[in-house]
Amino acid sequence: MVARAEEHSRGPRDPSRRRFLKLAGAAAGGVGLQAVLPAKAKAVLSSDERAERHARDPALLIDLTRCVGCGSCVAACKLENELEWRRGEPSLGPRAELAASNWTVVATEAGGDGDGRTRYVKRQCLHCLEPACASACPVRALRKEPLGPITYDVDKCIGCRYCLMACPFGVPTFEWDRPISSVSKCNLCFERTSRGEATACAAACPVKAITFGPRGRLLEEARDRLAAEPERYVPHVYGESEVGGTSVLYVSDVAFSELGFDEGLPDEPLPDFTWKETRLIPSVAAGLGAALIALYVRRQKALLAREGNEGAR
Amino acid sequence: MSSVTTPQESTKRAWTLRMTSPRVALLAMAGLGFGVAVYRLIFGLGAATNLSDRWPWGLWVWWDVLTGVALAGGGYSTALLVHFLGRERWRAVERGALLTSLLGYLMVVTGLILDLGRWPNTWRALLFWAGNPHSVMFELIWCVGGYTVVQVVEFGYIFIERVRAPRLSRVLSAIYAPVLIVGIILPFLHQSALGSLYVIAAGRLDTLWWSMLLPLLFLMSSFFVGPAMATVESFLSARTHGRRPPTRALQEMLRLSAGIMVVYLGLKLGDLAWRGALPALVDGSVQSTLYLVEVGAGVLLPIILLLLPRVRSSPAGALTASVLVVLGVALNRANVVFTGMAAAAGGASYVPYWMEFAVTLGIIAAGILAYLFVTENFPIYREIRPEPPSSVEWAQLWPRQPRELRATR
Repeated sequence: MVARAEEHSRGPRDPSRRRFLKLAGAAAGGVGLQAVLPAKAKAVLSSDERAERHARDPALLIDLTRCVGCGSCVAACKLENELEWRRGEPSLGPRAELAASNWTVVATEAGGDGDGRTRYVKRQCLHCLEPACASACPVRALRKEPLGPITYDVDKCIGCRYCLMACPFGVPTFEWDRPISSVSKCNLCFERTSRGEATACAAACPVKAITFGPRGRLLEEARDRLAAEPERYVPHVYGESEVGGTSVLYVSDVAFSELGFDEGLPDEPLPDFTWKETRLIPSVAAGLGAALIALYVRRQKALLAREGNEGAR
Repeated sequence: MSSVTTPQESTKRAWTLRMTSPRVALLAMAGLGFGVAVYRLIFGLGAATNLSDRWPWGLWVWWDVLTGVALAGGGYSTALLVHFLGRERWRAVERGALLTSLLGYLMVVTGLILDLGRWPNTWRALLFWAGNPHSVMFELIWCVGGYTVVQVVEFGYIFIERVRAPRLSRVLSAIYAPVLIVGIILPFLHQSALGSLYVIAAGRLDTLWWSMLLPLLFLMSSFFVGPAMATVESFLSARTHGRRPPTRALQEMLRLSAGIMVVYLGLKLGDLAWRGALPALVDGSVQSTLYLVEVGAGVLLPIILLLLPRVRSSPAGALTASVLVVLGVALNRANVVFTGMAAAAGGASYVPYWMEFAVTLGIIAAGILAYLFVTENFPIYREIRPEPPSSVEWAQLWPRQPRELRATR
């Protein structure tokens, strides 16, 4: 009886449809608008404030004009962090790539506007001031230490690889050949640097291509070098503003884009983009919950009223 | 006569799954997928997939997670329309949609766990207070997991129709309303979270797909693909079981889909224009071609088909449009996962290993078999059953006189 009565209960043009459209429109509009408008949350720092806050973080300045490609830094890194030399994972040369056993590599790039000179590019984790990988990690296996470096805790990791997706520099790598794999990446020699010592790579560099120090001072140093020899350097300190700034800074004599650096990255920290969306979750959930409760109660009342009428008949 | 059995079966209520040759083939596929899945768990992702540091996510994330969750969207959208917005007539398709959704999510959770490189640590994602609220992945795991549990509970209402369990049925009645409500909130959150996953790829995901509106676009597409999926599924199921699909309810739902798709299309193109990315649409690249196919054949064409009453009301027309919508959403997800990220992968290529296909196909085969088993043993298609159920059973199943309301009257 009741079930059949309901079948014919609602015409297509009842008020609930209008209400639904209104609700849906309001919800969509609200979320859409909030997502598009620039976030003015207090948590979002200006780039100057961010640089100020991280001025004392341990950092590296890598001068690509000085690097001779000897690979001492790679050897020092492997010794310090007990990484293997693996046949299929070259750490020097044109095919050198970051890998599970390579926390840093020195890649050979045939860059430079046809001057024929080879450039050697030390690649490693850039230790973002606001790291996308740590913001993406669901279980806090990757985290930015209060001292600055971004470290990885294998015991927490579930292996979802969202950090690999999130990193704008393609830094974290995965141990694909293990049954239970882990993520691997440079930790800026966390134990050394938290004692105030230079990273193994910086300490090993024979030509002072890698300078270790507080980020604020290294940034000044980089600007000084560019100002002192403007004909030698391209006018760009890579890592000063990319994705909100990084602790590893590069200066170079050829355009960074020719050396495999992405120059199209936004200056805004990547976690800020996501946070503009995720911070809406509590209010969306609460608003939706309230609307659903209201709709549910209203419908129950309507159903009860209808049952009453049926009974009276 | 009890309404839960068909006339022929009214005397015995044994669990049945009729085996035909296609079903044997499905069983074989599921078996192969299971074997390969075990191999993958023992020997690792590198042994069973062609994933790499440049392509950390592949077939499983595209199909088993992103597309699977979207296509299962019919469950929450139908529940919202029936239980909160009073589209009573659409209840005819509700159970089918709920079942597809539940099985879809069980398939998604299976795929998700198989994709975890440190799967024995899966439980760590469930430590809520140790989690990272800034992580979209955290939100996703919690909402997908939670919603799967909610759906198991929702399915309990169908279960107790077939299996007598008075105590369980009392518990289920008591928590009916909150379960329904949570069952709408969680899908809203994680359907959009799937889009938010790629927001962090700012500057790397192709400008045609990267947008701050990704969460909204993913949410909307999961909503409008629901009725399309329900249509496809109803037609397939009707053919298998020799029944008539509930066309009237489906047509109305498809019209709603078309309306949402109009807004979706406007948002998508408006967003491109607002970001100044319209020129990328016509630059003749692979990306632009695939975008045009996605939007042209997967959104615009079905909108036109569904807005023509004659096409919509013909079974062939409704089915064609629905298939286009489903393929369009699958292509949209593929474009985000593969096409849009190809440039950022720096020329590295990814073609799934046969084992990846074997697992994905095995999960699908197992899902279809489970669907067949449930539809043949539980009362799923109400409208097309020989007799409408008696009011007593419905009162038990859909307690529309919750105690708190009766008290306030």
